[in-house]
Amino acid sequence: MPKITAMMIVRNEAHRYLERCLTSLLDFVDEIIILDDASTDTTPDICLSCPIVKLYRRKSSLFLTNEAQLRQELWFYTTDNKPEWILAIDADEFLETKKLHEFPYLIQQKYFQAISFRLFDCWGSEKYYRVDGIWSPWLRGFSIYAVKYQPQLTSTWPKLNFHCGRLPLSYRQLPHLESELRIKHLGWANPIDIQTKYERAIDRDPTFKYMSREHYESILYPPEKIALEMWM
Amino acid sequence: MSSKKVSLLTTNFFHPTDERIIMGGAERYQVDICRLLRKMGYQIEVWQIGSGWVKEFDGVKIHSIPISKSKHNTFPELNLAFYENSLSADYALYFILSLAYPLAREKSISISHGVYWDWPGFDVQSGHQDAHQEWLRRMNIALTGPQKLVSVDTNTINFFNSTLPGFYHKWEYIPNYVDTNLFCPSKDTNSGSDMIRILFPRRLVPVRGINETMRAAEILTSRYPWIEFHFCGRGHDDNTEKLMSQWTTTQERCFYYWKPFEMMPEIYQTADIVLIPSRSTEGTSLAALEAMACGKPVITGLTGGLSDIVLQGYNGYLIKPTVDNMVSTIEELAKDKAKRLLMGNRGRELAMTFNKKIWDERWAKVLSEVFR
Repeated sequence: MPKITAMMIVRNEAHRYLERCLTSLLDFVDEIIILDDASTDTTPDICLSCPIVKLYRRKSSLFLTNEAQLRQELWFYTTDNKPEWILAIDADEFLETKKLHEFPYLIQQKYFQAISFRLFDCWGSEKYYRVDGIWSPWLRGFSIYAVKYQPQLTSTWPKLNFHCGRLPLSYRQLPHLESELRIKHLGWANPIDIQTKYERAIDRDPTFKYMSREHYESILYPPEKIALEMWM
Repeated sequence: MSSKKVSLLTTNFFHPTDERIIMGGAERYQVDICRLLRKMGYQIEVWQIGSGWVKEFDGVKIHSIPISKSKHNTFPELNLAFYENSLSADYALYFILSLAYPLAREKSISISHGVYWDWPGFDVQSGHQDAHQEWLRRMNIALTGPQKLVSVDTNTINFFNSTLPGFYHKWEYIPNYVDTNLFCPSKDTNSGSDMIRILFPRRLVPVRGINETMRAAEILTSRYPWIEFHFCGRGHDDNTEKLMSQWTTTQERCFYYWKPFEMMPEIYQTADIVLIPSRSTEGTSLAALEAMACGKPVITGLTGGLSDIVLQGYNGYLIKPTVDNMVSTIEELAKDKAKRLLMGNRGRELAMTFNKKIWDERWAKVLSEVFR
């Protein structure tokens, strides 16, 4: 069974989903490389309480100013730890629990060196995910989350400050196996977070360079304009 | 060992414009033939339709040619571009019979994966008498060039022997294959459940009988609380997969998913009856052979090369896959455990004659006769 290394960036996650996320990863990964982006809460302590975490810490935050550099730093820390398969995951994302037994098959198959998944944005609670517009997990396609480490591939990121992607560009171009295993994203699950996340997104992309104005506005849609499906 | 180079021409291993690749039967066949060639010491390169990109898959370079024009169900411009581009290769493989029209490399082999002109849409495109005659004229040329014609089923050979009979001696029958070590009956014969699991391990496309199967599932699951249906396969687009997922949430005991190839033995092993209800466009289905190798009875469409691997009433049933026929055949087999086990055992025995090792040997023999 190949070694699986999860990598993630964290910043002030103490009162969100970090602990749950690390616990869920314990079931199927061998090592978790975390880059703490200058948290001011107890996030580093939570990380260190997980026995398979290797924690790296930044003194100053980069997330809002140069996400690409931050991602690249995490990548280099990860590749320094002799990874075989790398899972790029966020602290509020969870692989579908009831199908986790499939994951070893995915990384042991002999055709693909990258695995992609559909992301389901839970909305307002953990029981429902959003399906209107480009929120629909069915229609926005698959994203690569797991790759086999290949030292010969380049490790460059696009020069973007926002939405710059989690993996080096060369890995995103690999033919990938689309898995039916779903990723549950809880970033929008708590109603209290939605307004703050909207404001942060607009602040980072005031000219709508990365996403359309309509998409940002859809974050604050009234309930009657939001379509949900139940997570089953 | 030889270091000669083989060029393979296909249409769409990769989707021409995006990264999506679904490892269906044809794609797996291509990977396996490339692996065999490399094992035999050949270099291999693949050419297909695309914007000029070059990609790599399973250690093989795949080049694309920016020509997608098709006429009379042939690709003459692609064929000619391939001829010029592959001149550095010693030998050629045409992955579809029609790709050898109009000009074939001297030392080349064409492959048929089954009759595809029994699909109703083919008649819509080429049914007019003049168009049909032109297609046949072109196929006559396509079959003339290569030194050998390999078919995965006898149906294709019979069709051409009765339609374009001059190629009798070129045909080689190399039926599809199954890894009988990987696909084998479960050691645990007692599942501990009284539920009868019906498996549809196919893509969600009409020619594979998806719509008839969904209707049959609705009828049978409402009639029998001990029957469940499992649909295991990709849709050709996101919307199809979305609709299928939504449909199964409205149905009792109907499930939809797909699995990586390495998990498929387990999926077959936990099934009681496997459906391959193709209407058309079928060869000697890999899925049917894999189900048989796992010791499962199969209910298949009466099409293509399925009659090469399913003996009516022996290891399964060959039916015209209407809803009524599917319901009555599944019903009968679901109620008769002894027959399911008997047919499953016979299926396993038959599958052993389609072992991958035999396929390797047959192909190696044909390759050695042409590539010399």
